[in-house]
Parts: sequence; structure tokens; C-alpha cells
Amino acid sequence: MIMKKIKENIFFVIVALAYIIITFYNPYMGIDSIKNSGYYIKEMFMIMPVIFILTALLDMWIPKEKIMELLGKEAGLKGVFLAFGIGSVSAGPIYAAFPMCVMLHKKGASIRNIIIILSSWAVIKVPILLNEVKFLGPQFMIIRWILTVIAIIVFSWIADKIIKDEDITTDSIIKKGISINKDACMGCKICEKNYPDIFSMEGKKAIVKDYDNRTVDKEKLEETIKACPVNAIGYRE
Amino acid sequence: MDIFTIGIWIGTIIFLIISFIKNKEKTKQALKMAFNMGKGMALSIFGIIFAIGLILTLLPPSEIAKFVGKQPAMIATIASALLGTITLVPAFIAFPLVGTLVDAGVGIVPSVAFLTTLTMVGVVTFPLEKKEFGIKFTAVRNGLSFIFAIIIALVMGVII
Repeated sequence: MIMKKIKENIFFVIVALAYIIITFYNPYMGIDSIKNSGYYIKEMFMIMPVIFILTALLDMWIPKEKIMELLGKEAGLKGVFLAFGIGSVSAGPIYAAFPMCVMLHKKGASIRNIIIILSSWAVIKVPILLNEVKFLGPQFMIIRWILTVIAIIVFSWIADKIIKDEDITTDSIIKKGISINKDACMGCKICEKNYPDIFSMEGKKAIVKDYDNRTVDKEKLEETIKACPVNAIGYRE
Repeated sequence: MDIFTIGIWIGTIIFLIISFIKNKEKTKQALKMAFNMGKGMALSIFGIIFAIGLILTLLPPSEIAKFVGKQPAMIATIASALLGTITLVPAFIAFPLVGTLVDAGVGIVPSVAFLTTLTMVGVVTFPLEKKEFGIKFTAVRNGLSFIFAIIIALVMGVII
């Protein structure tokens, strides 16, 4: 159990260990590092709560068909424009875009548009551009902006050719019956609540209980699958 | 808070109120979902943040600038692109820093390479990105961003 927890949060554990070692070696460095983190903690609390709420609300209210139409494979140029728009008016560091993009992809946005959102979120959003003008001048900013937009258009197209949708939904090993992608499951318990006869929790992850295929309420199951915020439930008849 | 952060807050709060009026149950479920999303990502995010703090202490941006400034142009470009990937600096630190780089005569190309990988490619965000999107997506996105960061920098060097 403890090993599993460590494995799930291996990055955090490594960072914590690094802090312990550094503080032993030189206490001032440990203190400095925590002080340096201060700004980022503030930044995180300013943006992450609202991003999570917005993502959940959009997930609840915007139907899959709408997202597909706006940002899906068939959305074409319109989708590209919209993706740039979303990224450009965003706020916060690149990881703030992750939950939003996972949700959009689950609802049918194309890989290409997801990459455009992530990249423009990182590098060409409006507040950043204003800052750039201040320190490096308008000419520098405009040229860099144009080049970056072109680069994003090109490499999102390349990435779209390399990455398949299945690479993200991680449901690549398709089994018969009901399955849960443990890597994606974040333990929100929604499936357990919607269909307690089939789903239950084991630690922080959902599991599929023993069930009789003949008594499964297909409609209820469908709803549960749709309700999963990370699309971790798979079903094959 | 910049105007966009405030805008997102205001927009989301209005959205939340409308959602609540239209359907209480659904809104509650959404809030629960948001909370669980936060819980699921919290440790990874704190990992990222404290890793940045550590990196900024071990490799202060001003030292990076000094180091890069002494290198010949080609090495400086590759080095600054690589150094850009391991740190994640907010714009208000990054731009003045790049401004000093350019003024100090480091040249446009390494400066732009640094600026682009700084925000778009992340070694510290890699574990979280992998968790959310899978290894292939993360590797391809970061890899392509890195290559194109250098291309953007080279082209800017030619234009300016």
C-alpha cells in the first residue's frame, strides 16, 4: 500500500528527498528554495481552483457534440482559430491547461487542437505579450508572435499525425466487459455512486466488482461511463 | 492578478450561479468533480512548484545568463534552449532576463531559444503531463516544441 502510494507520486517523493538532502548539506539553500517556491504557490492558488471549477462546469453543461463540432477533427480552420483563442486569453502556467485539455479531448476535441491550446497557453497569451513589448520592444514581440504561431500550426499538425486518440484515452488494451483504466482514474467515486452494484472503491481507485453480464442495466452503465470525468471506464460487449 | 485571471474568475462565478439556478444537483456534482480533480492533481502540482524553487536556487537565472553569455553562438543557443526546459519562469522574470541577455550581447538567437523552451517545454511538468495525457503525447509535444523553439530562434536571428 505504501509502496503503491510512493510509486503513484514518485515525482513528489523525489523532490521531497532532494529538499531533505539539500537542507542537510546547506540549510540556507533549503530555505531559499522554499522562498523561491512562494511566488508559484501564490500563482497556483490564484488560478487552479477556478480552472478546476470551470472545467467541471463545462464538462457538465457543454454536450459532446458541441465540443466535437467546435474543436473536433472536422472543425477545420474554425477549430484552429478557437484553439488559439482559448490559449491566448488564458491565465496561469502550462499545467493549468492540463485538466481543461483532458476534458476537451474526452469530449471529442482533436489532438491537434489540444496541442494548439497547450502551446499557446504556454507561450503567446496576451498578458505575456504585453510584458514582452515592455522589455524587448514591439518589433521583437510581433516577429516572435508570428513565428511562434506558424510553428505551432506546423508542429500541431505533425503531432496529430504521430499521436492517435487511443494514446490518450489509454484504453488501448480493450478487454471484454467493463474495465477501468487505473492510470486515468482519479478516485472521484462518481461511478460508485451512480452504479454501486458494479463499481466500488479500492483505496483511491475504482474497481469493477464481480457482476453478472445478464443483469447489467445497459442504460445505467452507459450513463455511468459518460459521467466519469476522466473517461476511465471502458465497456465492450 | 492580471486582468485575464480576474476575467476567468468573474466568468466562472457567473457560470456557476447560472448553473446553480438551472440545476442544483448537477452543479453540486460539478463542484465535487472539481474538488476531486484538485485532490488528484495536488501532489503533482506541489511537486512541480517545489522543484522549480529548488532549481531556481541551484541554477539562478542570472547565473544561467552569465554562463550562456560566455559561450560561442551555436553552443549558447543549444545550451540556453536546454536550460530553458528545466526551469519554468514567469513572464515578469523571463522578459527582463532576456532583455539583459540581449543587451549584454548574447545575441537574439540564444535569447529567443531560451524564452520559448522556458514556457513551452517542461522537464518538471513532464511527470504530470504524462499522467494526464500518456507518455507518447507528452514526449511528442515536448520534443516538437523543443525543435521548433530552436527553429524560431534561428529564423529570428536571420530577420532581426
